[in-house]
Amino acid sequence: MAGTGRILLEAQDICVNYGAIAALSGFSLKLMEGEIVAVIGANGAGKSTFMNALMGMVKLAGGTILLDSYPLTGRTWKAVQGGLSLVPEGRRVFAPLTVEENLRIGAFTRKDAGDIQEDYDWVFSLFPRLKERLTQYAGTLSGGEQQMLAIARALMARPRVLLLDEPSLGLAPIVIRDIFKELRRINEQGVSILLVEQNAKQALLLSHRAYVLQTGRLLKEGNSRELLQDPDIRAAYLGQGA
Amino acid sequence: MNFTLSTLIQQIINGLSLGSVYALIAVGYSLVYSILLFSNFAHGGFLVVGGYACYFLLTQWGFNTAVSMAGALAASGLTAVLTERLAYKPIRERTSITLYLLIASMGVNIVIENLFVITVGGRIRALPQSTFPTGVFELGGGVTVSASDILSLVVAAIFLVLLQLFLTRTRWGLAIRAAACDLRTAGLMGVNVTFLIGLVFFVAGLLAAVGGIFLSVRYSLYPQLGSITTKAFIAAVIGGLGSLPGAVLGSLILGLAEMLTAGFVSSQMRDLVVYSLLVLILLVRPAGFFGRTASEKI
Ligand SMILES: Nc1ncnc2c1ncn2[C@@H]1O[C@H](COP(=O)(O)OP(=O)(O)O)[C@@H](O)[C@H]1O
Ligand SMILES: [Mg+2]
Repeated sequence: MAGTGRILLEAQDICVNYGAIAALSGFSLKLMEGEIVAVIGANGAGKSTFMNALMGMVKLAGGTILLDSYPLTGRTWKAVQGGLSLVPEGRRVFAPLTVEENLRIGAFTRKDAGDIQEDYDWVFSLFPRLKERLTQYAGTLSGGEQQMLAIARALMARPRVLLLDEPSLGLAPIVIRDIFKELRRINEQGVSILLVEQNAKQALLLSHRAYVLQTGRLLKEGNSRELLQDPDIRAAYLGQGA
Repeated sequence: MNFTLSTLIQQIINGLSLGSVYALIAVGYSLVYSILLFSNFAHGGFLVVGGYACYFLLTQWGFNTAVSMAGALAASGLTAVLTERLAYKPIRERTSITLYLLIASMGVNIVIENLFVITVGGRIRALPQSTFPTGVFELGGGVTVSASDILSLVVAAIFLVLLQLFLTRTRWGLAIRAAACDLRTAGLMGVNVTFLIGLVFFVAGLLAAVGGIFLSVRYSLYPQLGSITTKAFIAAVIGGLGSLPGAVLGSLILGLAEMLTAGFVSSQMRDLVVYSLLVLILLVRPAGFFGRTASEKI
């Protein structure tokens, strides 16, 4: 599914500081309805900080975040109610809760019980293995299964924008391929996706457009296919042929 | 004192009754710990507020027992919420170092205790005789149990079951269990974390009030009654900090140990036994019975 040309989420000149450290210095980004946008950058570039800023998990030192051209208040639960749902870095499933409870808490902001049942079916169609593991504790799942659960849990909020912070981290290449295939399917079913990744190749292959973030600033942005061919990007981010 | 079967049975019932009161206190304390990862020493203060609220509702305003207890629960729950908002929230928003919260909680405890000393005086009070059953049951074979022991055991059990149902069957209960595992990520699920923390403090305060009322019945009511919370802290540590089943188990063990010591050795030895038990269990299992180990916490 490609963008419809309507801006869904827009970050303008985002600045975030941790004490004296400037983690983001005026980063801007647009996500169109239906689009998959990637932010790539090395470790420490500020990718997670940006995701947390969108979710209202860190204080902005400057800038604005607009959802449907309305500013977000900086309260996380309002961002979730507005339609943002983050799959955090390192998956962060609730280990002592069952798979079913993890999915149920994902639907916390929803009041429509009937539709929630539909969404269980939806996430099980994407990740059938979760259905088999429903009563198992999330902590007993493999890394790949935990990532699937983290994505499914985020989808239970029925988001308009699914945000993912390094979903490929620590997973085997074959598992990464599976998960990225499902991300494309999720997008085809109408969910816009914003993805941050160190794994630049996978992210550029999946996304329509991408931004390159370097120490809190924009280095480059453009069409993902073009960035894949860009010699600078190839040298800096696709060097190991990942 | 010599060993008799009837003393044994009687002390076991006494011990379970005392342990169940400790459990009410320990569970609330553990609940707060599981979410914010600090020992809330103001918990003893919440209990005292509950005790005095019940006392004055009974004596000054002449309400019946049920209404007075309900009022005491609400007063203590609101005190807990207010404490969180005024003393802890400003600290939580500035730093993630939980030691500051622990120190603030000690301050709050001193403030609450002394507010009662100043306003109502330090003298020891008893809840009016007529409001709680005072009878003694003869169970046969020389075994006697007091009605108040049975009542506190039953009421404590009811509240613990209600808490368990709340945590396992409701939407906010699930959110609290998720937050106990990972507060930040619970926030990412769209849970209003500020409200959740307030709710946890309200529940903890409410349970502390039930404990405070039954401690006032068992012993008496005075501004320093909250210091008994130390025993509940020990129970929670024995059971594994942050674990609710652990807090209940630790409390029952402690109550039994105290009463069996009182029955078969001497009352003066109670605290010695309690503290020895704590040291012993921590030597064998540093995280307590159900404590989270470092690896599970990641
Ligand atoms: N909680 C924090 N406190 C202090 N510095 C932080 C914190 N989180 C991140 N940083 C710093 O901010 C910068 C960006 O970090 P981050 O957003 O995690 O990068 P990325 O996700 O791209 O690896 C890094 O220099 C990092 O060390
Ligand atoms: Mg990161």
